[in-house]
Amino acid sequence: MKVSKFCAAVAMVCACGMFASSAGAADAPKRLTGGGSNIIYVITPSHSNPFFKTEAEVASQTARDLGYDVKMVSHDDSPVKQAELFETAISDKAAAIVCDNAGADATLAAVKRAYDNNIPTFLIDREINEQGIAIAQIVANNYQGAKGAAEVFVEAMEEEGEYAELYGLDSDTNAKTRSTAFHEVIDQYPNMKRVAVQTANWDQNLAYSKMETILQTNPNLKGVISGNDNMAVGAAAAIKAAGKGPLKIIAVDGSNDARDEILGGTMTATAMQPAAAIAKVAVEQADKYLKTGSTGQPEKQLMDCVIITKDNAKKLNNFALSE
Amino acid sequence: MNKNDLVMTILKGRTLIVLALLVLFFSLASESFFTGSSLLSISKHVALYGILGIGMTYVLVTGGIDLSVGSIAGLAGMVSGLLINKGLTLFGQTIYFSVPTIVIIAMLIGMLIGLINGLVITKFAVAPFIATLGMMYVARGLANLTSNGATFPNLVGKEALGNTGFEIFGRDIAGFPVAVIILIIIAVLAFIVLRKTPFGWHILAIGGNNRAARLSGVRVDHDTVLVYMFSGVCSAVVGIIATSQLVASHPMTGNTWEMNAIAAAVLGGTSLMGGVGTIVGTVIGAFIIGVITDGMVMCGVSEFWQMIIKGLVIVLAVIIDQYQRNLQARMALQARNANK
Repeated sequence: MKVSKFCAAVAMVCACGMFASSAGAADAPKRLTGGGSNIIYVITPSHSNPFFKTEAEVASQTARDLGYDVKMVSHDDSPVKQAELFETAISDKAAAIVCDNAGADATLAAVKRAYDNNIPTFLIDREINEQGIAIAQIVANNYQGAKGAAEVFVEAMEEEGEYAELYGLDSDTNAKTRSTAFHEVIDQYPNMKRVAVQTANWDQNLAYSKMETILQTNPNLKGVISGNDNMAVGAAAAIKAAGKGPLKIIAVDGSNDARDEILGGTMTATAMQPAAAIAKVAVEQADKYLKTGSTGQPEKQLMDCVIITKDNAKKLNNFALSE
Repeated sequence: MNKNDLVMTILKGRTLIVLALLVLFFSLASESFFTGSSLLSISKHVALYGILGIGMTYVLVTGGIDLSVGSIAGLAGMVSGLLINKGLTLFGQTIYFSVPTIVIIAMLIGMLIGLINGLVITKFAVAPFIATLGMMYVARGLANLTSNGATFPNLVGKEALGNTGFEIFGRDIAGFPVAVIILIIIAVLAFIVLRKTPFGWHILAIGGNNRAARLSGVRVDHDTVLVYMFSGVCSAVVGIIATSQLVASHPMTGNTWEMNAIAAAVLGGTSLMGGVGTIVGTVIGAFIIGVITDGMVMCGVSEFWQMIIKGLVIVLAVIIDQYQRNLQARMALQARNANK
């Protein structure tokens, strides 16, 4: 038996598939009434990141308070696993899905599938590249947040000096949005020079090791702009380990870790994404939509970030500011 | 039938028994678990690990391992995405291929990578673990290079370019997922080849006792290379299905799937030492993983507990496997002594 025979057989199977007709696309907007059960699926990235943990927990608590059963699951940033979870939710006859998705393009098919199965999807934190298949896409105003943080950065740097940039996951739209917003502010000052840019995939450990390398080659580094708090905290640790005085570091997210760094003086500012508020609003809109057929809001909704500095950091806890 | 025989029968059917118990358990725990739509959706998820697991079983049976399967799946998916959305640009001319051609190209790439794995292992005597570990990084890097880390969106093709229809592998035909149909076909072929053809006996012999196989005229290197090529093709098929399901190709598709493939094979009784393994076992193993994963989601078990339970099940399976092997050896010894 030769390998070619395996391949021929496999190829034949695939070729046969070609002739089957493909199913029709989604129709014009219709009212989705849910799969029939009282369950809301909350699908987020891994809860090992406090941001997503807060998001998932607030969404779940809000849903429970409104009388729903909740299943809280994680797609670990894998679009395939996410698609599987959507299918599980469909077989489970979910009433609605609240999801922080795993990729602006790679999520479309899953959301469409839920739509075709009469289950409304409410996207939080990250958008997808299509409108009309999710009922709501509620995201933090990353652009406004990053711009606000960048303004604090420029001030802290006294409008001059070398800085490095840690960039988020390339496939993530937020990485691009935040970076663009940073530069819209910072690039207005000709004496501020970006001497290094590295992708650290939103990851703390990776940011630590990349920062170590950046410090090796750039001894005059004065500041760091980071796509998220995780990477900023990693960078701050690397700077400390290298025996350098605290540099000016800004990021976006608003985690408790970043708060502690800011209070400790090792970080300058972050923009808090209102994760808790977004999750709450999304579930409330899901409830309203299931009951009345409308959220009363446009599909795309932005919620402003709050800039966190030494002045207000104390009030920050789990992505919400206490009064 | 004495006590040992009874224990043996139970042990031999243990994977099926475990699967049945799991299904029963989850059916009681969640009312929507044991429904047609839910079982079909589980089998669709199982198909991905099952197909990878079948390729992996062949490799494990020869005493090797293939850590590159997840990355090959990712690469095959990215190549499909690239060819559909961007076409192939050669000498300033862009060619678009039809979907069947794209599928064949993606599978050929999987086969080629398997060929390289096999040649590195046999010709340069590199341990399979290392050779395929290296390939895992290379293929993942290549997958990212095709798009510079971005996703190829909306892989529906264009009527004008004649490359529509790629979504079919993620769809259902007459209510039956295409992925499951592909799994069944590959499983049947792989079963027949492993059990009923000289090639199958040869690779079992290679894993059982490499030197003895060589001395008795088995073309060890040649057959080993073929096995890695088969694993590569299986991985490419999985990459195509996963990409088609998402209608988008993502460069990290298949990340860590090699672990699920190995787990499926091991749960099904395949030995990492080589020489032992069945296709039916692997498919059941894949179902066990799928049922546990989807069942726990339906029961609302936290993701961290899911990891713990999955890990425990895998190790427990091997412990029982070892117990069975020891018992088998003891019974064989007893039988021989009784005949004397």
